[in-house]
Amino acid sequence: MAELRTSADLWDELLAADGTPRAAAAELVQRLHGLGLAELQQRQDLAELDIVGMGITFTMYSDGRGIDRAWPFDVIPRVIAAEEWRSIERGLVQRLRAINMFIDDVYHDQRIIRDGVFPADLLEHSVNFRQECVGANPKFGVWAHISGSDLVRDGDGTMYVLEDNLRVPSGVSYVLENRAISKRAFADLFAKQSILPVDAYTDELNRMLSSLAPEGVSEPTIAVLTPGIYNSAYFEHSFLAQRIGAALVEGIDLVVGDDECVYMRTIDGLERVHIIYRRVDDLFIDPEVFREDSSLGVPGLMRAWRAGNVAIANAPGAGVADDKVVYAWVPDIIRYYLGEEPLLPNVPTYRCVYDDERQYVIDHIEELVVKPANESGGYGLLIGNRASRSQLDDAIARIEADPRNWVAQPILALSTVPTLCDGQLEPRHVDLRPFILSGETNYVSAGGLTRVALRRGSLVVNSSQGGGSKDTWIVEA
Amino acid sequence: MLLSRVADNLYWGARYLERAEDTARVVRNFTELLLDLPTGVASSWEPLLAVAGSRQEYDELHTSAKENDIVRFLVADPSNGGSVVSSVEAARENLRTTREVLPREAWQAINDLYLFTSRDTESGVDRRSRSRYLGRVMADCQRLDGVLSGMMRRDQAYELWRLGQMIERADMTTRVLGVRAASLLSTPIDAHDYDEVQWMGVLKSVTAMQMYQRSRRGPIDGASVIAFLLFDETFPRSVAGCVHRMRAALGRLPHPELTLPAVDQLDDLLATLPAEATDGAALDRAMDRVQMALSDLNTRVYETFVSGMA
Repeated sequence: MAELRTSADLWDELLAADGTPRAAAAELVQRLHGLGLAELQQRQDLAELDIVGMGITFTMYSDGRGIDRAWPFDVIPRVIAAEEWRSIERGLVQRLRAINMFIDDVYHDQRIIRDGVFPADLLEHSVNFRQECVGANPKFGVWAHISGSDLVRDGDGTMYVLEDNLRVPSGVSYVLENRAISKRAFADLFAKQSILPVDAYTDELNRMLSSLAPEGVSEPTIAVLTPGIYNSAYFEHSFLAQRIGAALVEGIDLVVGDDECVYMRTIDGLERVHIIYRRVDDLFIDPEVFREDSSLGVPGLMRAWRAGNVAIANAPGAGVADDKVVYAWVPDIIRYYLGEEPLLPNVPTYRCVYDDERQYVIDHIEELVVKPANESGGYGLLIGNRASRSQLDDAIARIEADPRNWVAQPILALSTVPTLCDGQLEPRHVDLRPFILSGETNYVSAGGLTRVALRRGSLVVNSSQGGGSKDTWIVEA
Repeated sequence: MLLSRVADNLYWGARYLERAEDTARVVRNFTELLLDLPTGVASSWEPLLAVAGSRQEYDELHTSAKENDIVRFLVADPSNGGSVVSSVEAARENLRTTREVLPREAWQAINDLYLFTSRDTESGVDRRSRSRYLGRVMADCQRLDGVLSGMMRRDQAYELWRLGQMIERADMTTRVLGVRAASLLSTPIDAHDYDEVQWMGVLKSVTAMQMYQRSRRGPIDGASVIAFLLFDETFPRSVAGCVHRMRAALGRLPHPELTLPAVDQLDDLLATLPAEATDGAALDRAMDRVQMALSDLNTRVYETFVSGMA
């Protein structure tokens, strides 16, 4: 019999503090108890074989080389009650509606600054604000079409938004793949209870992207723009293109014509592209406007976009709100544009650009997580109570040198899920990245990507740094 | 709609995969043939290098021509771009960038094959496991072929795949004819004790044995083996059969007016060949000309679909 353990001071997603299963996880926990460790390990091994056989990979960098690694997956799912999920969903939709209004405002009248809600100097110093986007009018006023917000649950059970990824968030392909694998591992449980399916995501993505077509185009051509095979998320780019029937293009496949329309080079000659789902960072999409040395982009793409001849998702410049400093203002942004109270709380965030908050961070650095404002993938992150004195001093020096680029948050006791580690079930910390589609309306993936820190005690869940993943079950009670 | 870059990768993916299958087959059949022949009769492994078209590359790296060295070079050597393991890896790399146009099961098939071939390459060399290893390579290649024929729309991607496959396949059949058949024709008549076994070997190198038997009556005869492998359009590995399929594929792809002349050239060449071959050296030269024409077609395909230079 498999014994499930939890730590007294942590919130476990499957078990209450007294070790009894949470209501939505009751069936699963009962099954885990019944299976025994050997059988569980066998299902884990089969899942890993499937992953290798299906070629589900991500690319790691080591010594400047990209290495294709099997996607790390833990067979024990994370369970969320459908009722709780619906309220999270509402919170995410509210958040993205407000964030998109903020981005549109920032590139037009900047009412939020004139009304004194958002500080002008923050925008002036933002590395993700694109002057070239000022005055542009993407359809529906939406800029961040595809976003992934990272959610974490603290020791008291509160779900917080940790950050919003509005540039080129990845991971959704693994949500779908994890489900395919977990259906094989726990077929009986899927038959027995109502677990929300995740497959609709790609259809919703297709629908949303198609809705961005320039006026008068009824059957638009969609292309997914990838940096190429060496990108860590190439698997996902190809997966999504496959699922939505789009062409998977690289910069060299595209050309902007004299008519300021975008074309791809096909064996029939040039063919018009109406919508680009770009998975290339916006600094690289057009060497005419941004980085001249970029070979990943398409010269003239920004002209075509500004002329309304091609839609780009996410819109160039959307990253202005994907910034750990702007993040701290999101509750105010929601109140300002929607006149509503935020449904999902932010983690309290200290902004080092302000003298008093910076001083607090420096004085309490051992109790805080310190983050650079504009890095993704967990890079540059420092967890105060696990760092050495010299690492802390380094961090303080970096903060003082460039205060705008640093924020700090209290160290949350991330919730755990039992995870198979070396043949034993151990509680391991998790987060959750749901994906939100924004067009004329909004759609939230059913659950999202649960990432798990596989090392004991570790809070770092990124797959590039030894994190794993789990399927996420939204269970109807 | 098919991107030129993807077209190029598909075409080469098909060629590499066909090369892997064909190389596996000739190595396996050559191994089995030599076991049948008594020591002294044609026990050299060198013809295999010529069939694989790797003679020069091999000689640059090796001084001896022992069985295991040659087989390792053709099957398991990652530094030989034409070896089975290299071809499978190259096919997989090409398919990695074409996943959105092929059925997902195709990727799984090539991925399985790659995991298999790269795991224990030496078992493809060792005589005791060689046949099983190469048999698995052929079976997996056919699995992928079956996935494409059973699941894929007959779209441009499909036709390009078939085109690459047929060009590579025709190339192999001409090399089997130009090397093996030609040398049998040239051998003095009194050394023909094992003639039938040798001609069977020729047929088996392109899995033509059973189909040849079904289409003929009586014992195996060299001239009719050659005619079968050159001209029988209904056999999918004959040169004429491959050329026929190339023509069909190009007819369904853009700008046939630019590409079909290269196929006409192939048909013209076949038409000039005698119905009954008797001269080994002439057959060898003729097969060289067919290979040149295949190479011209390859260039034309590149210019028309990939570089846009046509």
